[in-house]
Amino acid sequence: VAVTGRSSARRIVPAAAVVALVVMALAAPLVLAPYPLTLLSLVCIAALLASSVNLLVGQVGLLSMGQAGISAAAGYAIAWGAVRDADPLVQVALAVGVTLLVSVVYGVMTMRTNGIVFLMITLALGMIVFGLAQKTTSVTGGQNGLTGVRRPELVADPGAFYLLTFLALLVSLGATLAITRSSFGLILRGVRESEGRMSSLGYPVARLKFVAMVCAGLFAGCAGILAAWQAEFMSPATAGFSRSAFAVVMVIVGGTGTLLGPLVGAGVVVGIEHWLSSYVERWPTLLGVVLIVVVLFARGGVVGAVQDLVRRIRPGAGGGHGSLTTPGTASGGGVAIGSGTGTYVAPAGPGNEEVRG
Amino acid sequence: MRNRMARGSRGRPTGVALLTMVAVTVVGAGAAVAQSPSAGAPSGTVKVGFISPTTGFVAALGTDMRRGWELYWEQNGAVAGGVTVETVFEDDAGDPDVALTKARRLVEEEGVQMVAGPILANTAYAVADYVAGQGLPSFHITGADDLTQRSFDPHVLRVGYTSSQSNFPAGQWAHDQGYQTAVTLCPDYAFGWESCGGFVSAFTNAGGTVTEQIWHPLGTQDFGSYMPQIQAAAPDVLFVGSAGGPDAILLYQAFTGFGLKDQIPLVGNCCFADQVFLRETGDIAQGIQAFTYWVEGRDSPVVQEFVAAYEAKHGEIPSLYAAGSYMMAQVVAEALEATGGVIDGADFVTAARGVSLADSLYGPLTFDDTNNPVGPVYRTHVEAREDGTLWNVVDETIPDVSQFWTYGKDAFLANPVFSRDFTGQ
Repeated sequence: VAVTGRSSARRIVPAAAVVALVVMALAAPLVLAPYPLTLLSLVCIAALLASSVNLLVGQVGLLSMGQAGISAAAGYAIAWGAVRDADPLVQVALAVGVTLLVSVVYGVMTMRTNGIVFLMITLALGMIVFGLAQKTTSVTGGQNGLTGVRRPELVADPGAFYLLTFLALLVSLGATLAITRSSFGLILRGVRESEGRMSSLGYPVARLKFVAMVCAGLFAGCAGILAAWQAEFMSPATAGFSRSAFAVVMVIVGGTGTLLGPLVGAGVVVGIEHWLSSYVERWPTLLGVVLIVVVLFARGGVVGAVQDLVRRIRPGAGGGHGSLTTPGTASGGGVAIGSGTGTYVAPAGPGNEEVRG
Repeated sequence: MRNRMARGSRGRPTGVALLTMVAVTVVGAGAAVAQSPSAGAPSGTVKVGFISPTTGFVAALGTDMRRGWELYWEQNGAVAGGVTVETVFEDDAGDPDVALTKARRLVEEEGVQMVAGPILANTAYAVADYVAGQGLPSFHITGADDLTQRSFDPHVLRVGYTSSQSNFPAGQWAHDQGYQTAVTLCPDYAFGWESCGGFVSAFTNAGGTVTEQIWHPLGTQDFGSYMPQIQAAAPDVLFVGSAGGPDAILLYQAFTGFGLKDQIPLVGNCCFADQVFLRETGDIAQGIQAFTYWVEGRDSPVVQEFVAAYEAKHGEIPSLYAAGSYMMAQVVAEALEATGGVIDGADFVTAARGVSLADSLYGPLTFDDTNNPVGPVYRTHVEAREDGTLWNVVDETIPDVSQFWTYGKDAFLANPVFSRDFTGQ
């Protein structure tokens, strides 16, 4: 495609807008009160976990229902270190080690599967982490959780902590973009489109899936580290099925396989769960309606819908495929969540069955 | 080809980025707009944050809690100690992360002076930790033992009993009945461990033998597999420390279905044969014995007035959670009277700890020096009220039961908290 003057202008203006918005986001701590900053941190952390799901489902077509298990494992490592007054660097090193370990287990267990089998195994792995968190009370505090976790001095302030979460999110988005545009990403999408063909072309499909899982696991681990510091508390609920399911809902609502879908989805879901729920009693119904509307009328999620809208208003814009980061994705549709992965499972299940303490 | 398409699309992420950022900023800004002047609430008013799960898998408990809290202020007026008590309600969905966000909103946006709290152990611990860190008091009815034991904080008061507290008398009673052996059946998590811990400690210390401890996963669908195990053990008594809900109902159906009802005496904890259970099981529940601190059929004007008022309003007999929240409200009101309407961090909790009730929904009540109630535990059985509705009535009152039973605080706290591996003091 020849780059015309018009299209380069088209590139510069939005690029300037992005820079302006990033600057605005970075300046948020100067103008916002602590509580809104807390909400924004929650959005960034949720978006990180959703990015992890998105990387797998968008690039490789593998829908994970247990991604919260990885983030919770990392969170427990942080909490375990924090209550023992470990240096923040030691905490992080420990958490990264645990993340790698758990991701490798996830990877090994799932590398030869796809579709519904992948979904079920990740679901089971998530539940195993949940069960371990509940049973190994000497390490995790069991159902009661671990109190006394404190953020590192440097990011103790809500503003500083928000900046940390925002930067982590930026880095993860950059990494997603880099993976997407690399030949590795192209090969992963090949696996998504036709595993058999890639296999017969000589690609080590299982190994590729393993590497993708570990990459996604690192995002999830990063989310887990930040979540433990954010809450300054850790309990098995963080590994619960509903956490993993919410991450999937974020991806669907935001736009599967799109770069910014997870962020938009996280904004919507966290906004409803943490903020709107103070004003609307029936917020779970509202969340359900949002999900149904998106699945029925905007299969590319909010991001996909916006792209369609932009295309309609400016017919010249874009080459006609609806995805930002996954060239080759069906136009306007993103990757339907069912693409090779079976169906979406409603948030209810074993992880939700703690009753009363 | 694909690469060229990718390049062609590079301009557009930014447009979407813009909208996303706007959306995120709007969420933040909306929250900022909702901000109200915190600190320095208008004189003559105290603001209390009330967090309970009114959605999610324990929504029933959270709804009952809210109703109990509201009923107290409706019956007694919202003025105590010369100040008006204003409540801001929040829903935590049974999730610690959400509970924390809500606690932060209550403290940072609403400027509440205290928080009355979430029911699930993990949500309660998370909220208590944060709220205490802000120097504010929090009141709870959750059972989690350590909240007023090894994790004691002068900002935290419990207006319910610990999970083990009402089960110590059950163990002593079982021994006094002449039962030599017991089997326990409890859910496999902190609440179950602590419930069983209370029974097992007192029973074994009195000289009884626990021959088998069965732990069932929360949300067990089929209790049939445990029944032959209990039958084979043939204990003199079976103790059930249930968290209530479907587990309790399915457990009892299996118990009666296997014909064990006529073979092995069963004694339950606070939450086994509660109103939720009785509404579902019907007449087979008649006669179930339990040890608890909230007894809806107790012959006391305080209890019967509350039950009548609650029933008139909501059409059902109040649960432990409604009664517990009502009690929290009452203790807040009494403490406000004592401080002259001032809620000042841990001092308010100290004042609340000084509250002594001649009779209350739980009976005569005082608090110990780690902010937990000392009060009666009742041995109860289920029977039909005049109108045929099932409820629990009192057979025996064990007065002044402490969370440390007869062990004494220091001896008790020298041991670890009850767990699957440690149920005997």
